Amino acid sequence: MGLLGALGFDPRNIVFSSDTSEEQGRQFGKGRGTVDCCYPVKCMSGHYGELVFGQKQKLDILLSPMIYTLPSFLSGHVAKTLTCPRVMAAPENIKAGFLKEGDAFAENGIRYCSPFVSLDEPLIVPKQLFEGMKDALPDLTREEMARAVDAGYKALHAFNDKLRKKSREVLEWCAREDKPCLMVVARPYHMDPGIGHEIEVDLQAYGYPILWMQYFPIDADLMDWAFGDDVRAGHVKSAFDIHDVWQSSYSSNTNEILWGAKVAARIPWIACVLRMSSYECGMDQPTYSPVQQIVERSGTLFFSFQDLDSTKPAGSVKIRVETITHYLEKYAADIINRKKAAMPPGCPLLPAA
Amino acid sequence: MATVAPDHYRAYTPQPFTRAERDSVTILFGGLHWRIERILQAVLESSGYKAQILPVATKDDLLTGREVADIGQCCPTSFTTGNLVNFLKKEARQTSAEDVSKKFIYLTAGSCGACRFGQYHQSYELALRNSGLGAFRMFLMAQDNLDQNMGDGLDLNLGMTLGCLWGIFCTDLIQDLEYQVRPYEVLPGQTEAVVKESVEYLYEVFRHRPAMTPKKSVLWHLATPYFARAMREVRRKFSEIEVDRLRVKPKVKITGEFYLQTVEGDPNYNIHRWLEAEGAEVYPAAITIWMDYLLRLGLQRFEDYSGVEKGARLKLGLGRLAQGIYRLTVNRLRRAMGNLPHEIPSQFELRRLAAPYFHRNLDGGEGDMLVGKSIWAFQKKKAHMICELSPYSCMPNTMSIGAMAGVLGKFPEILYAPLEIKGDAEVHALSRCQMILTEAKKRAQREFDDVLARTGLTVDEVRAYLHAHPEMRKATYRIPHDGAAAGTAAKLVLHVASRMGRR
Repeated sequence: MGLLGALGFDPRNIVFSSDTSEEQGRQFGKGRGTVDCCYPVKCMSGHYGELVFGQKQKLDILLSPMIYTLPSFLSGHVAKTLTCPRVMAAPENIKAGFLKEGDAFAENGIRYCSPFVSLDEPLIVPKQLFEGMKDALPDLTREEMARAVDAGYKALHAFNDKLRKKSREVLEWCAREDKPCLMVVARPYHMDPGIGHEIEVDLQAYGYPILWMQYFPIDADLMDWAFGDDVRAGHVKSAFDIHDVWQSSYSSNTNEILWGAKVAARIPWIACVLRMSSYECGMDQPTYSPVQQIVERSGTLFFSFQDLDSTKPAGSVKIRVETITHYLEKYAADIINRKKAAMPPGCPLLPAA
Repeated sequence: MATVAPDHYRAYTPQPFTRAERDSVTILFGGLHWRIERILQAVLESSGYKAQILPVATKDDLLTGREVADIGQCCPTSFTTGNLVNFLKKEARQTSAEDVSKKFIYLTAGSCGACRFGQYHQSYELALRNSGLGAFRMFLMAQDNLDQNMGDGLDLNLGMTLGCLWGIFCTDLIQDLEYQVRPYEVLPGQTEAVVKESVEYLYEVFRHRPAMTPKKSVLWHLATPYFARAMREVRRKFSEIEVDRLRVKPKVKITGEFYLQTVEGDPNYNIHRWLEAEGAEVYPAAITIWMDYLLRLGLQRFEDYSGVEKGARLKLGLGRLAQGIYRLTVNRLRRAMGNLPHEIPSQFELRRLAAPYFHRNLDGGEGDMLVGKSIWAFQKKKAHMICELSPYSCMPNTMSIGAMAGVLGKFPEILYAPLEIKGDAEVHALSRCQMILTEAKKRAQREFDDVLARTGLTVDEVRAYLHAHPEMRKATYRIPHDGAAAGTAAKLVLHVASRMGRR
């Protein structure tokens, strides 16, 4: 919205497809798939279809960027911050399903716009977006795009900062009250209720605060407390270095998942980690064992929901949620105490003595 | 609940391979086709290392790979992991796990994204640990650097790198010619024997490359007639094979994921040989082209950054020069083979052809090249059919294949067989391929009949002409490709017609 707003689009004229759902896929995406792959990519046919066929007022432009790299708080500490090969190429793949029997976009008066963009390389983003969007926006100038990109990044950073601040408040409350919280270690699309199936919401209903790894507070004092010993011992170069647990650090979300597991293993009040993974997720697959080992080695509870697909497995989720809460009730206090004992003094989450 | 450990988890870091161990440790490698593996062995040995090629992966290896590593691995990784584990276990039965860990190290290709293939450190480690080989040393060689923890045992110097590169060029050319000749050989098995002889000959050629300083080595490799002379000798060996090119066969271009298109064995259902047995002429996928693609992909970054980052244009210029030298070198060796092997397609042309369907910067597998090659082969009549090998659970390949739906919408005449290779669903994949191959056979026959009708020649007349010109029955006789036909038999008729003044 930051970018599009700065380009002069009235927010009322910007339409987002709705949350993923089976109904959306059935109604708008049926017959448009070109290959069998993971659900987070497959479901995009439904999103495209909803925007093309499901609007009362026809759209002029369908914007679906091919995102190559992601801005990450781990940038500079890891090899690369690439998106998954399926996610980055998904627009080309899904587009093919709308072109194979005629141009469904043109037939509906829509201009399909899919710029290739490396979001973790701000220097080149204005050029990439200009090149990718100039046909859809004929009056666009390079200068306008540069300003809009700047506004987009500002909006993104403000949003991230706000959520990290909120996460810190949650952690400080947990530390003050000595209460457990849960951390979700998953990919960003699992925040979509149709992909992550709101499993963490079911747990929150039992009174446990939920943190998402992507928005974990990264303030210097907290990072030093969590990782200072590792840095000083030479295991890592900084708090955001993950080479001690993961050597091929080129995939952005994978890197963050590994880092999330590390931080969860160290913060005492994170008594449980909830891992989510979608059906046929190739990027998650090599991380299953390391993530579990990182978390469990610290004594933190680890529960994994793998192979999530279009249908919410409501029955098994309910049983597993009850299992998780049972374990938390029984063991959370011990876990917190044990992890606290392993950490250095001077926790910045607690009020200064 | 898991047992709590006093310290935090750390990733697998193998003990380094040291210089002092060079005489006692054997480097294991594999996963390509036998011709290049044999030459890489020569390069390693000539640099002072003990090197051993792993056997071609089998279905048993696939099952072992699935059993000992994490579930959901991509098919190539299951094959390669299982292959390594089974080899080591066999060795360990003769001595001990400890001995095996001391005696061997494993060097394999990784990647630096976007595909997950480069992220398999832990999977290999898990597989080795589950097999009682936790101390075994395994090193991943990424596309752009060597495993950082390797130690000083392996010095991947310029001379060795160039040796590997030239080995790839030479064996690609041999493989290409081999597949052009074998379906038409008059004496069954002769091609096989000549290829084996040629590869053994090249083994000695590479084994005895002169050692020199890095700078001299670059100049020597670029300027020497050493390799061109060797390829002329290989051509001479091929010239002993008599062929009957009037056998009408569909030409099948192999594309797909790197491992599956390269390896020859169970990992890809032995598809090359299966297609030949079913009556096709196979157009194999050269490693040289894949490396040319990687070069192009790398240089695209500088293209994109031109005008944005200082020095990008200069780097692009230097890169283009390197790319030009690369192609010149391949063409020089190809010329020594009488220009018989297929030329390497222009990466810019492949990129241009794929552009409406797949963005050039989307990487991880074969990206836009997979799409571009299919259109290129169809439009330029390089093949009647495309057989695209995609590993089960391969992430980037599924994306390129998906984009092919748009290509087929535009060019419905393309005979395209995307095969998902799982290792254990052979009948399903091959029957799918057979359906498209049946169409390709009909197309090849139709093309041949059309050419005969167009030139007014009969098969007997063409045969009589060939009988009168024995040099045309040699495997090394070159039939030009002018884009008028894809099939070898049809091209031969057109060529004979030209020579007879009937075209």
